[in-house]
Amino acid sequence: MPTMVSNPFSTRYTRPGSIAPLDAAGRPVDVGALLDRLQRLGGTAAIVGPHGSGKSTLLTHLAAALEQHGRRAPRVRLHSYADAPMVWMAIRQAGPDDTICIDSWECTGWLVGGLLRMVARATGRRLLVTSHRAVGFPVLARCTTTPVLLHSIVESLPNHGVWFGSLIRVADIREAFANHGGNLRESLYELYDRFEAVTSPIQGLSGDGPVDRTGHAGPRSIIHEHADGFSYRGAPERNLG
Amino acid sequence: MRLPRFYAKKRGHRRTGSREWGVVGDGVFHATLLLAGLCFGGLLVSGVAAPEWRINHEFRETTGTILAKGLAKTTMADPPATVITHWRPCLLVRYSANGVVHESWSQGPTATTTSDREVALRRLAGWTLGDETVCWYDPEAPKTVVLQRGYNWWLWLLSLLLPGALVLIGGTGLVRALRAWGKSEEHRAASAGITELLDPLAQPTLAAPGYPAVPACDDLVNSPGTVLRYRLPIESPESWTLVGFGLFALLWNAVVVVLAVGAGLDLLGGRIDWWLFALLVPFVGVGIAGVTLFIRSLVFATAVGPTQLEISDHPLLPGGRYDVFLAQGGTGTFQTLTLSLELEEQATFRQGTDTRTEQLVVWNQPVAAFHDVGAAPHSRFETRAIVDLPADAMHSFTSAHNAVRWRLVVRGSPERWPEFCRTFPVVVFPRGFASPESASPPAVVRVRTASEEVSP
Amino acid sequence: MTSALDREPSKPRIELQFDRPHRQHEPRDQLAVRYRIEGCDGEHIRAIEHSVLWYTEGKGEEDLGVHFFQRITDRTMMPPTAITGAFSTPLPQSPLSYEGVIVKVRWCVRVRLFFDGSRDFVSEHVFDVGQIPPARMPVARA
Repeated sequence: MPTMVSNPFSTRYTRPGSIAPLDAAGRPVDVGALLDRLQRLGGTAAIVGPHGSGKSTLLTHLAAALEQHGRRAPRVRLHSYADAPMVWMAIRQAGPDDTICIDSWECTGWLVGGLLRMVARATGRRLLVTSHRAVGFPVLARCTTTPVLLHSIVESLPNHGVWFGSLIRVADIREAFANHGGNLRESLYELYDRFEAVTSPIQGLSGDGPVDRTGHAGPRSIIHEHADGFSYRGAPERNLG
Repeated sequence: MRLPRFYAKKRGHRRTGSREWGVVGDGVFHATLLLAGLCFGGLLVSGVAAPEWRINHEFRETTGTILAKGLAKTTMADPPATVITHWRPCLLVRYSANGVVHESWSQGPTATTTSDREVALRRLAGWTLGDETVCWYDPEAPKTVVLQRGYNWWLWLLSLLLPGALVLIGGTGLVRALRAWGKSEEHRAASAGITELLDPLAQPTLAAPGYPAVPACDDLVNSPGTVLRYRLPIESPESWTLVGFGLFALLWNAVVVVLAVGAGLDLLGGRIDWWLFALLVPFVGVGIAGVTLFIRSLVFATAVGPTQLEISDHPLLPGGRYDVFLAQGGTGTFQTLTLSLELEEQATFRQGTDTRTEQLVVWNQPVAAFHDVGAAPHSRFETRAIVDLPADAMHSFTSAHNAVRWRLVVRGSPERWPEFCRTFPVVVFPRGFASPESASPPAVVRVRTASEEVSP
Repeated sequence: MTSALDREPSKPRIELQFDRPHRQHEPRDQLAVRYRIEGCDGEHIRAIEHSVLWYTEGKGEEDLGVHFFQRITDRTMMPPTAITGAFSTPLPQSPLSYEGVIVKVRWCVRVRLFFDGSRDFVSEHVFDVGQIPPARMPVARA
């Protein structure tokens, strides 16, 4: 009987920061080369791409790489126009060598965004943003999606060797990608549903766990454990202060 | 004073924006709105409302003689290449103030100003030279005289509405930011009351005392039933849809009327503003559609009638058995009317500008079903049923982004109308619930998003 | 993710045992766990954190509620080689463990080790509270 695992497509394992950035061919992105290019562009640039194409994931890893090189990379996540003041505060607080990493730059709007960019330029602050279009920034990277990329992401999920091929197959990945026009986030949501559909209990009796495609039910309490990692992948972040 | 760091050092290499500076930014933003509202409101009050109030309360009455009629002309540039002229009828009045005789042109209310000279002249036609008339002068500036008093309520509303909104939004946001400053998430969550009133969406749902992550059900037990113990509130989009359509139709058509009146007056004055007419066409279309949707929703709500659901006890417990009373109003016949108990999961994920909320009914138990139910005016269909909750039912659960909810759902198929669905939320507690007094307090309980754990 | 170290970092292991078979608990039970830390290779642990918490998993943002938290910084309690520890706490009445379709509620024990140089290691061990059966396949999409 295969070991049952928790749904590997949960947001816990697929949200930005949990998955390494990959290019359209499914290969790891050369973060060092991107940092060199960012340097050549003057330190201010945008990562552009459609919804669910991995922009936030790439931004997270570029910020981490900047910090590994001894530079500060404060991050700002925007959800709406009301978050625009956080960008202003970030610019005010940033040092001359800092690169402010801003997720969803388009939330600032063309007017406020333009003003913020002017202030950043005037004060010599660098901005690395994600956006659905260029919005006046030089483009550092364009995120595009392919079925190969989705396949590579799926390969990196926990316990891939256990459930791939039995619970989720190549056809599932291909169909999910096609159904959502290349939106990786939506594709992963669909794969989540497919995984649940396959492992959903037939009888649902108390104490029975999920079943696999062969109909065997495992004990309910066997759940994926992160017992062997450093700040395990997907761990909630915690401020030690 | 040590200022908080902009960034918060997280586990490993990841850093995100500092909460402290986020609160500061939030506070600055709302303070700016508050300041703008106060300034704008102050300007409007001092420029419009206050003068009007002075005229009605401080100006002194006297008798004057009309010596001459005139039109005060004001021109304004109207890009790209036109000039708009406004005409205000005014009268030269001789009157006595404090024993001194003055001759002044009257200051008319803003409402008398018009862009049509003929209209302004017609307004002057009502006055006759040499007539004596009541007038009011400013005791602090006796040369200022008016021939009409009263309030222009429209201007008062305008003076207060927009600045009032800015002050309200800015003020509540600033208060919220100030209350959040320097407090941990746990402290903020414990500070219930006004903070939740100001922005309930920003705070976790209130949990039942002694039962972490189980929603409180106070709002569900504050309405007594007529047959059974509690009347359940309805959680249905229908009423909101009706209100929404109504408000939209009202506001939109108010704008249409204003535009149409303006276009009509221009037309009567022999001036055709083609841009205005071109704008009116789609506006009128949308206005008609809004009114149609509202009327349709209203008729539907009237035809289907209200649904009333009462229950014998609340909150519910796994393994419990409960009486429910269903009453359905309306006219005509319902081809089917069903009552069922459902368990729904809800998950929300935010990423950038995307907020994705998914809801899924994972369990459904039919409670009662009826066919060809006839409802007559002034009476309603009534029935009672039994709801059995499974012994191993999951309790109601709520956290910042996820929820497990129980609800009773009434679905109906009225003749000649679309199907309707009305939901009545209920709360299921874990087994062992007796009363709030008997529940033992937990050691430490917090509900937070995954990005924050408890700091000692 | 971790600071550069002059030598190969150690690979700790935490073996944790629950006092109940199959890690099955009921609300208001006393949860008691013992653990053993190995593989630190002489690396100094400057702090240990114990926590008992629930979290959500599924298609929404991960929420969590910390029920029990304890931080140990007493150097006398952290010898350089193997270390054992234990802690216990009464469990609350809710939430119960729940295996839903798009929302799952899980309880876990976490032991987090903090080494010198800002490196840390966390071990998470899931257990059950209550006996709620897994949710079935959805009967209707809301």
